Amino acid sequence: MFFRQAGVYHTNYVADRALFPVAADRWIIAMILALGVAAPFLFSSLYLSSYLLPWLVWTAGALGLNLILGWAGQFHLGYAAIMGIGAYATVHANRFGVPWEFSIVIGGVSAAVIGSCFAFAALRVKGLYLALSTLALQFVMDWTISHVPAISGGTQATLQAPDIRVLGQPIVSDAGLYYVALVWCVLVTLFMLNLRRTALGRALVAVREKDFAAAVIGVNSFYFKLVAFSTSSFIGGVSGAILIGTFYHAVTPEQFSVDVSIQVLAMVIVISWGAARFGFSLSIEALAHLPQALYGALIISFLLVEPLGLGKIYKNVRDYLLVWPFGYVKK
Amino acid sequence: MDWALLAETGINGSLIGLMYSLVAMGIVLIYKSSSVPNLAQGSMTMLGAYIVLAYSSRFGAPIWLAIVLATLSMFGIGIAIERIALRRLAGRPIIMILMMTLGLEILLRAGSLTIWGATGRPMPIGISDDPLFLGALLINRAYAAGAAVAIVIFGLFALFFRTRMGVVLRAISDDYTAAWSVGISVERGVALSWAMASVVATVAGVLWASVQGVDQSLAHLLLKGVTVAVLGGMDSLGGALLAGLLLGIVEGIAGSYLDPLLGGASRDLVDAAMLIVTIMLRPHGLFGRHDIERI
Amino acid sequence: MMTETSPKPTKSAVLSLNNIEVVYDHVSLAIKGVSLEVPDGGMVALLGANGAGKSTSLKAISGLLVAERGEVRRGDIQFLDHNLRSLSPQRRVELGIAHVLEGRRVFEHLTPDENLIAASAIRSRHDMIRNKDKVYTYFPRLYERRFSAAGYLSGGEQQMLAIGRALMTQPKLLMLDEPSLGLAPFLVAEIFQIISQINREEGLSVLLVEQNAIAALEIVSHGYLIESGRIVMHDTAQALKSNPDIQEFYLGGAQAKNFHDIKHYRRRKRWLT
Repeated sequence: MFFRQAGVYHTNYVADRALFPVAADRWIIAMILALGVAAPFLFSSLYLSSYLLPWLVWTAGALGLNLILGWAGQFHLGYAAIMGIGAYATVHANRFGVPWEFSIVIGGVSAAVIGSCFAFAALRVKGLYLALSTLALQFVMDWTISHVPAISGGTQATLQAPDIRVLGQPIVSDAGLYYVALVWCVLVTLFMLNLRRTALGRALVAVREKDFAAAVIGVNSFYFKLVAFSTSSFIGGVSGAILIGTFYHAVTPEQFSVDVSIQVLAMVIVISWGAARFGFSLSIEALAHLPQALYGALIISFLLVEPLGLGKIYKNVRDYLLVWPFGYVKK
Repeated sequence: MDWALLAETGINGSLIGLMYSLVAMGIVLIYKSSSVPNLAQGSMTMLGAYIVLAYSSRFGAPIWLAIVLATLSMFGIGIAIERIALRRLAGRPIIMILMMTLGLEILLRAGSLTIWGATGRPMPIGISDDPLFLGALLINRAYAAGAAVAIVIFGLFALFFRTRMGVVLRAISDDYTAAWSVGISVERGVALSWAMASVVATVAGVLWASVQGVDQSLAHLLLKGVTVAVLGGMDSLGGALLAGLLLGIVEGIAGSYLDPLLGGASRDLVDAAMLIVTIMLRPHGLFGRHDIERI
Repeated sequence: MMTETSPKPTKSAVLSLNNIEVVYDHVSLAIKGVSLEVPDGGMVALLGANGAGKSTSLKAISGLLVAERGEVRRGDIQFLDHNLRSLSPQRRVELGIAHVLEGRRVFEHLTPDENLIAASAIRSRHDMIRNKDKVYTYFPRLYERRFSAAGYLSGGEQQMLAIGRALMTQPKLLMLDEPSLGLAPFLVAEIFQIISQINREEGLSVLLVEQNAIAALEIVSHGYLIESGRIVMHDTAQALKSNPDIQEFYLGGAQAKNFHDIKHYRRRKRWLT
């Protein structure tokens, strides 16, 4: 049988703090990872470069957004703009002659710096108003990107991204680009998974639940909001850069418009906000390829049927199987 | 600066602004009754215009009849949206409600794209293109008509909220539970507010379509509507009207100064800036409700 | 003193609760087996400390639990000939149950006049005018202030408005949740006096929930005592007032002992463990 324990019974803290309290989780993740590594040998190159690769990058982006949305409990309707900043900064740095490895860091840092502006909005307002002000910031960024020729390279322009080189090795093959995206996605996933075990993660949860209560127990909520926004912007910026480097190969303002922000947000909702237990929720990034209408319908039906997303559905199934066939046993 | 030109820009801006407040009024109506910030109001506006076109071109109805029929249809659509999508989310965290309205926005926009395609179509409602001169000032007739309709609709709402039904709606917006305790059907009240917002959206859609044609860009009125609604205070209809006026004037004048400097399309920037500034300085807007505290 | 109340359904009871259980959010059990009866035209008090389950009982009767994700999981609520459990809050108001919420909860941005109009949503215009006259005769002070925003009324006036609003629905049973909350003693006396006047003149049954047991026991005929979600005592008002335990717990203690003794005494005397 797949799941064999009759519940989760920890006898020490180490077990409780384990990344995967249920052994089967670990095996599933390992299998998915193995599948991810073997993918170039299993799938056709078209499938690899036009489906799997963007899946991975968008997963990383969505996980980055989840740091703000799920962990810190703050709204962000301007995440695409952040990804765009990272992408543009990287491409410009790269064209200027900075090696690609460093230029993605430059992209991430500049995204983090500008993304922190959003944190200042979050300091003043919450809920609806934060959502609206981030939306407005998205419009401002959009406008700036497309109307400042120094950034966009002129109105309606498309900026070619140089081929990416890692350690001086040019990467042009589909498999190579795919592995770049895979490595980034795995790194982000590991970070998000471990967040649960860190002081940062606990502080963010405290801020999310009630920021003034967090302040009372000595958690500086402004500081942690700032950290959440800048970290998540860093992840978003690098994801944007990698998306351009490995998938689009050229950057235009439309790639990071407000619609994209909403799409990323929708991905987070469909995965399950809060629980980044399963970084590789493979099914969701198909969203990026669905017809728009279907995808609006998907958001609506998830909100109506299972507001906690796929992660919660997985957990329900797992918890059911854990004690199967003794369903009356509470986990 | 030429004073006549400035005045002309200001007046036309204020007329446009009043047309923005039509969109904002829909948002306010829904927010007032159920605290749901309806981010789908832009695409509802667009949908209203498309339905009018569908009635008039597909079934050959005269335009006034098409508008009446579309209004009725949108009344039903509004009730359906509330019943199917939002009622179950009552009392859930704001993020879910926001995402739901965003999901609706995407669904309506993409759905209408699938059905009607992306090409823009004119909406002839019989307003002539001839310029209207007010002294030396040139006024756009379509804007003037739109502004007049906005004021009339505001007046109708002001009257409506004095009637028994209107008082009941205001009671719902004050206190859900208390409304329940005296036998008011809160669900029906909220559904009614969605229906009314959809009707207003239709009117706004027709007027805006007569200015810029019917296409997907009608949904972009959302940003204007939201800015006006927040600036006026999310729960004040009168605020929405005045804020629309204000935004229109600022946008018109700032736009005419900034466009040459920034190379066009600075109006959206002005909107976004207004929205951010309002939220940062005065989140409850100009006329939003401070909760009454007894001294 | 009865530790287990099982009221036999008498013919004259307008409302009877039989062993009801309420859970919030599907998990937390707020009241566990409450039974009580309100005789037709009578006045009954439901007394108890904070969090004992008084308000929850009222909400179970008026159906407002829905708004707080609570539900009646077990037991029957009988009102006249109707079983209330499956009815919507609105339907229950139509049948004649009026619930005056804790903390007054008037429609703050409406005037008192509009408050009364809003509250007659389920009645005809003719009834509304008649009921409004009646409310204004009971509460002349509301008439004086009928056009100023209800949020600016004083606490006592707001309580009067809340009661008047409930009367607009033409109830047969008036349920009041802590009408004395935050009011000066003379106002409490005035409001209680009006409540018993309404009870006499309209033949309205009253279920009064109170922490202020002294004031409540003055006007009611029977009292129930609720603790941790259970009815622990039921008797006439007279008997309750003279019961030493009640005096000790709810009427402000008889003999002053030191704090340590009181704690011990309470622990010993707890009805339920």
